[in-house]
Amino acid sequence: MRVLTVLAILFAAPAFAEVGKIEINPPAQGSVTRAEGLQAFDRIYEVASHPRCSNCHVGASNRPMWSGPSYGKTRPHGMLVNAGESRIGAEHILCSTCHVNVEATERGNNVPHAAPRVAADWQLPPVEFEWFGKTSVEVCNQMRDPERNGDRTYLDIASHLDHDVILHWAWEPGGGREPAPYSLQEHVNDVLAWGVAGMPCESD
Amino acid sequence: MKLSVNGKSHDVDVENDMPLLWVLRDELGITGVKYGCGIAQCGACTVHIDGQAVRSCQIAAGEVEDAEITTIEGLGQPEALHAVQSAWIEHQVAQCGYCQSGQIMQAASFLQLNDEPTDEDIDFAMSANLCRCGTYPRIREAVKTAAKTLRGA
Amino acid sequence: MGKLGTIARRTFLIGSVAVAGGVAFGYYMYKRPAANPLLEELGEGETALTEYVRISSDGITLITPRADKGQGVYSMQAALIAEELDVELEQVTVDPGPPSPAYYNTALSEEAAPFRSTDDGFAAESVRSVMDVLMKFLGMQITGGSTSAPDGYQKLRIAGAVARETLKKAASQKTGVAVADLTTEGGAVLLPDGTSLSYIDLAPMAAQIEPVTEVSLRDPSTWRLIGQPMQRVDIVDKSTGRLVYGIDHKVEGMLHAAVKLNPAQGGEMSAIDGSEAEKMRGVVKVVPVKGGVGVIADNTWRAMQAAEAVKFETGPSPFPASMDDHWSALEASFVEDAVDSRQRDEGDTAARLEGAEVFEAEYRAPYLAHAPLEPVSAIVQVQDDRVDVWTGTQIPRFVQSNVADLTGMDIEKVHVHVFMMGGSFGHRLEDEVVKQATQLAMAVKGKPVKLTYSREEDMMHDFTRQIAMARMKGTVKDGKVETLDLGIAMPSVVVSQMGRQGFPVPGPDLQIVAGAWEQPYRIPNYRVTGYRAPQLAPISSWRSVGASSNGFFHDCALDELIHAAGADPMEERLRLMWHDASRKTLEAVAEMSNWGSDLGANRGRGVAFVMSFGVPTAEVVEVTNTPDGIKIDKVYVAAEVGRVIDPLNFDNLVKGGVVWGLGHAMNCEITYTDGVADQTNYHAFEAMRLYQCPEIEVRGLENSDKIRGIGEPPVPPAAAALANAIYAATGQRIREMPFNKHIDFV
Repeated sequence: MRVLTVLAILFAAPAFAEVGKIEINPPAQGSVTRAEGLQAFDRIYEVASHPRCSNCHVGASNRPMWSGPSYGKTRPHGMLVNAGESRIGAEHILCSTCHVNVEATERGNNVPHAAPRVAADWQLPPVEFEWFGKTSVEVCNQMRDPERNGDRTYLDIASHLDHDVILHWAWEPGGGREPAPYSLQEHVNDVLAWGVAGMPCESD
Repeated sequence: MKLSVNGKSHDVDVENDMPLLWVLRDELGITGVKYGCGIAQCGACTVHIDGQAVRSCQIAAGEVEDAEITTIEGLGQPEALHAVQSAWIEHQVAQCGYCQSGQIMQAASFLQLNDEPTDEDIDFAMSANLCRCGTYPRIREAVKTAAKTLRGA
Repeated sequence: MGKLGTIARRTFLIGSVAVAGGVAFGYYMYKRPAANPLLEELGEGETALTEYVRISSDGITLITPRADKGQGVYSMQAALIAEELDVELEQVTVDPGPPSPAYYNTALSEEAAPFRSTDDGFAAESVRSVMDVLMKFLGMQITGGSTSAPDGYQKLRIAGAVARETLKKAASQKTGVAVADLTTEGGAVLLPDGTSLSYIDLAPMAAQIEPVTEVSLRDPSTWRLIGQPMQRVDIVDKSTGRLVYGIDHKVEGMLHAAVKLNPAQGGEMSAIDGSEAEKMRGVVKVVPVKGGVGVIADNTWRAMQAAEAVKFETGPSPFPASMDDHWSALEASFVEDAVDSRQRDEGDTAARLEGAEVFEAEYRAPYLAHAPLEPVSAIVQVQDDRVDVWTGTQIPRFVQSNVADLTGMDIEKVHVHVFMMGGSFGHRLEDEVVKQATQLAMAVKGKPVKLTYSREEDMMHDFTRQIAMARMKGTVKDGKVETLDLGIAMPSVVVSQMGRQGFPVPGPDLQIVAGAWEQPYRIPNYRVTGYRAPQLAPISSWRSVGASSNGFFHDCALDELIHAAGADPMEERLRLMWHDASRKTLEAVAEMSNWGSDLGANRGRGVAFVMSFGVPTAEVVEVTNTPDGIKIDKVYVAAEVGRVIDPLNFDNLVKGGVVWGLGHAMNCEITYTDGVADQTNYHAFEAMRLYQCPEIEVRGLENSDKIRGIGEPPVPPAAAALANAIYAATGQRIREMPFNKHIDFV
């Protein structure tokens, strides 16, 4: 199988380019109550479960979803798109065949119904970050579990949010698509507040 | 800007954000690459950028200045066909033929990544290319034949 | 084959004419020879003759007047000539020729006449010949209605035979060897000693002698090409990106253009302000055109961007504002006053429906876009003494006349160059794009202008398939279907389409009931009524026209009654069917699908039969009801076409027709809100993609003596067979297209 050698080459390319778009200023330790932390997570979940985010946070099916106001009835991404275990489509058709990597982001995504694009190779997040269709409690427990969040502290998560230009797209989707709620900065602030509160979940 | 298409360097005077599709068709007169939808729904405009299939209606000219662009004309010629093109001819795939440049470019890129495709792999790989004439059964057969040829080569 | 030869001699006057460096063979049209479109191109001293074969120092050219939009008709026409001419397809050039009234389509008129295709009686034949004269009068060089095969089957073979025999006569005169001792092969006449005289060398001499018109056509058992799988003449070009479609053609000094049309279909744009657009890079001019505004620029993309920058006010659409209003207009048409035709009325349907247990159902079929993958385009160049048009079209004669009208140029000074089409499905039976391109070209006189529609303009301003509705009432008795009363309401496609060309069409429109009224069943009480709905959104011929909706209505209605009767869908259809060649298509798919065998859990099998364009076609569809939706597993098709000219192309076209029929039934519709199409591109009009394509098994039957085309007949039964299969698998009866409004597909 030649897929694997090609994969190695593809993964060698830098995936994330843009940094420093937001400020990471966590609240002082002890300044956020559990109740406030849970409220922050409610907002985090509004973002995580929004189609702009959850459509790609799918599990081992490797099949991104189409759902939300721009797509009508919830269904798997059309054209039988399957990103494969590579999560970039290398086994079949690369995500970046349509979701092209554009360095100059000012070109934006202003064409309705076209494939969204950013300055990175389009891909699905890792399988263990599966959020699609999951409850707030499930996502909360995943997000604080190092096994299922890429071994990240809340500060790492905030930093990751700063770095991953694919998820930046969720707030600037263009083409008449509904953006994720709040702003990227507000979302990061909520993550920091939730973290300082000790990453509480309703199930605790 | 300078674009390298099918091994040849071209100077073009276009906006950075003009889709590669229209640079190829209207500025360079390379018309094997087809306009079908402009929004990555049909795949008729598929070219290879550094060997990988890309919808040329989605990628801007300014993004591919340093890349090697290959169109169907550069993939193979009547006297020196690519294995995918030979298979397409053997199976007499084309009806109107308008989508077939894109289908062939997609298949060639796919088989380069995976030359032992299962039937399911072929469905995954080729379902983003639209054919209004309904040549799908023959596309499936031609991809299998091409894979066999490429493995043997 | 004597009979064929006799008929041909009576109908056609064949002849030859000298051309520069050679000879051309073809037909003189009867009554008054139509003007020869090639005269001007050939120079002085030539007589009027419609060419099919031209042999000169440039080589051998076969002229194939039926346009090719993907159905392989260039190859088929070339093969018909080559079969008799004894040339290999690799030796010849295939040229669609210029538009000419002489290339009229005889077969199209057969289907226009109100007789069932199964009816060969005297009245039927005589009406057809009246239509034939009419078609010649109109000079309709139209490609459509699956007519290319029947139209060319005789004419082209005879042209080939006459050319061959005349070349032999020339060879005989040159060498003194008797004609009887000469043979032909590979584009040459062979002498008994093996000497070979090429057609090209003999051509000048052949031009000087009387053509041999007493020819008999070869027996099918000796055919080399017909009936054999052929390689399409354009397959290499299509597989290497070299084929030049209309959209690809380049003319020296050409400008590029785009249009922005009034979003509301049929409305006129107003308050056009192109000042911003004119400032954009590469823009030459902003020009109002029919239905909107055009932008001429130095690149298509720049023109499209600029067209989007033009400010305007949307003129209202003259058509109903909401889809509910469109449907209401159809619902209101099921009244006696709106009866358009009742060609089928057997037994006493009305009486039988009194007091019995009556089964009723209502069916709907939406507007549908043609959406061939190549958007429409046209290049027009207006000069002082001539106008040239380069475009892919099915109606070159109309194009020529409309461009002449717009430019005020004499018609013979309008030159239409027809290109291979990237699909059509009826789309290129319209010529709005040419009219708009002409208006643009007139604004920059002397310069060729290529207008390319964006996909959005192409889809939103398509003249779609008709919207249609049907109501069924029926009774069953003793396990049999006893009464089928089907009413179908739709606007007239023919009135809408011909109206745009300025032709009023009086009388009933049989497309309203096509695919329903002429089905070869004997049901004791059987009535099919066409109701003429008012003209709503503009509509046009869409692959299989009326039958595309009516085949679904009629066959599903019958299927419902068969189930109500508790009968087997295959056996009951066979029992009711009187037409032998049609029965054989059903028997074929029954055998192919092993009808009656157990498919296992969650699976179902449906059969449908529709005769359209004279072709009895039966299809069996097998589906699985998966947790994620319906999966179409397999389709079996059998069609009766009299003679399968190219089995490979036949197989390809049938599969394509099935994919077309199934795909649109699954998930396609065009809907209008305030006259604006809601579907703008393929994301909302997807039809079938590769992963959804079932395995399709095809069988062509040759039990009839009528030659028929296969481009359209596989379409109408597909949706019906799918609906019937879904019913068998799920118990859910779907009566409205697209089916995904009611059930999911995998």
